[in-house]
Amino acid sequence: MLTTTTHTTLRAEGFSCPSCVAKIEKGLGQLPGVSAATVHFASARIEVDHDPAVTSVDDLVAAVGKLGYVARPSAF
Amino acid sequence: MNARTRRWAIPAVAGTLIVSALVAGRLNTTVGDLLMLTAAVVAGTPVVIKAYRALAVRVVGIDLLVAVAAIGAVAIRNFWEAAAVTFLFALGHSLESATLAKTRSALAELVALAPTTATVIRDGAQVEVPAHAVGVGETVIVKHGGRVPVDGTVTAGQAAVDEAAITGESIPAEKSPDDDVYAGTIVADGFLTLTATGVGADTTLARIIHRVEEAQDAKARTQQFMERFSKWYTPGIIVLSLVVGLATMNLELALTLLVIGCPGALVISVPVALVAGIGRAARDGVLIKGGEFLETAARIDVVALDKTGTITRGEPELISILARDGFSDDEVLSWAARAEAGSGHPLAVPVVAAARDRGLAVPAVPDDVRTVPGHGVVATVDSREVAVGNLALVGHEPWADQAADELSAAGLTPLLLALDGTVVGALGVADTIRDGARELVEELRAIGVKRVLMLTGDNQQVADAIARQVGIDEVRASLLPDDKLAVITDLQSQGHSVAMVGDGVNDAPALAVADVGIAMGAAGSPVAVETADIALMASRLDRIPHALGLAKRTVGVMRSNIVIALATVGALLAGVLFGGVTMAIGMLVHEASVLVVIVNAMRLLRPTPSPPSRVLASDPLELRSTQGLSVATRSEVSSSAT
Repeated sequence: MLTTTTHTTLRAEGFSCPSCVAKIEKGLGQLPGVSAATVHFASARIEVDHDPAVTSVDDLVAAVGKLGYVARPSAF
Repeated sequence: MNARTRRWAIPAVAGTLIVSALVAGRLNTTVGDLLMLTAAVVAGTPVVIKAYRALAVRVVGIDLLVAVAAIGAVAIRNFWEAAAVTFLFALGHSLESATLAKTRSALAELVALAPTTATVIRDGAQVEVPAHAVGVGETVIVKHGGRVPVDGTVTAGQAAVDEAAITGESIPAEKSPDDDVYAGTIVADGFLTLTATGVGADTTLARIIHRVEEAQDAKARTQQFMERFSKWYTPGIIVLSLVVGLATMNLELALTLLVIGCPGALVISVPVALVAGIGRAARDGVLIKGGEFLETAARIDVVALDKTGTITRGEPELISILARDGFSDDEVLSWAARAEAGSGHPLAVPVVAAARDRGLAVPAVPDDVRTVPGHGVVATVDSREVAVGNLALVGHEPWADQAADELSAAGLTPLLLALDGTVVGALGVADTIRDGARELVEELRAIGVKRVLMLTGDNQQVADAIARQVGIDEVRASLLPDDKLAVITDLQSQGHSVAMVGDGVNDAPALAVADVGIAMGAAGSPVAVETADIALMASRLDRIPHALGLAKRTVGVMRSNIVIALATVGALLAGVLFGGVTMAIGMLVHEASVLVVIVNAMRLLRPTPSPPSRVLASDPLELRSTQGLSVATRSEVSSSAT
């Protein structure tokens, strides 16, 4: 089974307390096809390694939204 | 913005309900209690939902503490406390998101500058494409008022370009063919055609954004300490409240302890200061690698500056010509220029340029030229041997020695010219001093720097002449790159914290070994942006004290924030255990302390006024008038300073 992993950066708004870091990291980590999720509190960035065929960028944004945060994909 | 109105809706509704409950409670307790309960439900429901979602991914967060405390307060029929705690928490949270967004605004502005579309010439027609879809080497056009979409080199057109996004410089830079332009800058006036050299993530702007974000996320030592502290603080408080609750059977006391277990101000006190300080610096064209370097930069007491390219522009000009009897100035200049033409010698450029300015013919390439490293060049021109270089190259003789001394005393680098082994003339070349060099030392002293040194590979006399003009009293001259490194380590062994400022070309080892390496003019150098501890995008000397001063202020805010956070925790703990602090007061003090640390950090975002940069280069002729140089056979070479 061959999977292709891409690296997506999301920029989020409304990070106000670092407890959301663990919440988003674990929440995204549970999604199928996501191999790694890192949340940077200070710069409000979310970096995800995922297989876009299983979980698309839009799915990531939706998942972050469900946890209560607004995020947008970024080109760099 | 629907999210924004929703953010304030909950505290507004809950607040209104609490006020009406207080009023109604005077007339009828049951109605009052009901209204209070409604307020608690309105403000508390989102908290409970968030706590549940966090628990679902097995995270014990601040929401859980507040939810348990509020539900517990309702259970013991203390509706006022439940309403007050949830309302204050919701209100504090809304205020925090609004103000925290502000501290991140500096970076958000940079991200917003990243252009989205580009106009490209494809098959002879103008096409609008997404900025990241432009291919390297493609031709891009930017119209008046447009934003440059890629890094590129101008191929046609003239324009004034506002480069504030990259260099923090408010005065537009004039761009003409062969100049480099950066993505995110704005063509204020004119029209440019350019060839794309960097696109998307490979632009200077993207590199800056990336660097700033990495820096903001890099954890300073103090932050690691604070995070460790809060890691055990919250669970510790939960355990303490359980123990206290079981021991005293006082549920209210246990719940109050839970409320003050929120680590809010503790965890954000340091990052919020870092984000604001590093973000502010980036807007001023100063990139700081991270919190570690801020802390180090704030301790700096010695600054060592490389001369060439830092204090001076690194663009030497021909200032004076000495000709031996029987030769004219023009002949001397002409021979020298013809020998230097085509040589890679750094001093060749001003000599050839001065000859062209005087209308002397300079053939493109001499018949035969060899470079003698560290000494000069020897060429064959019209079957005569022409040597241009230092005394070691042409050999000592009285006239040559005297000419070299005269030029050196005036702060000029002497270039001697020998025809078939006989010295016939000397040229005096000098590098022009950057604007603001004179103010630099004063400004550095004002922010607490004790010693300022100038390091250079030039000879002592030239170095002294430059240093005198700038007001630097410690000069280390005739240094090789390794010697510069030794000077730095020597200063460090004396217990100093040393900042080294250079252009990163021939002083890389010294920059690396210094406590803080500051690279000037990093906009054109991706390597400097990536590697320097502090990268100054513009080549402006006043940015050096500015950067160090900002570092000091940021570290000051960090420290005061830590004190505020720890003092709040201590006071609340004492207040709860010795009585007097209720759940509502605990939450109020806690939220207030969070807001205080954020507002404290926001002070860093205020732009610091910097003196307007003078556009005129400092005049090399000024140099000689101050030196009072009187050479009998001297003529001026006016080179057009542009």
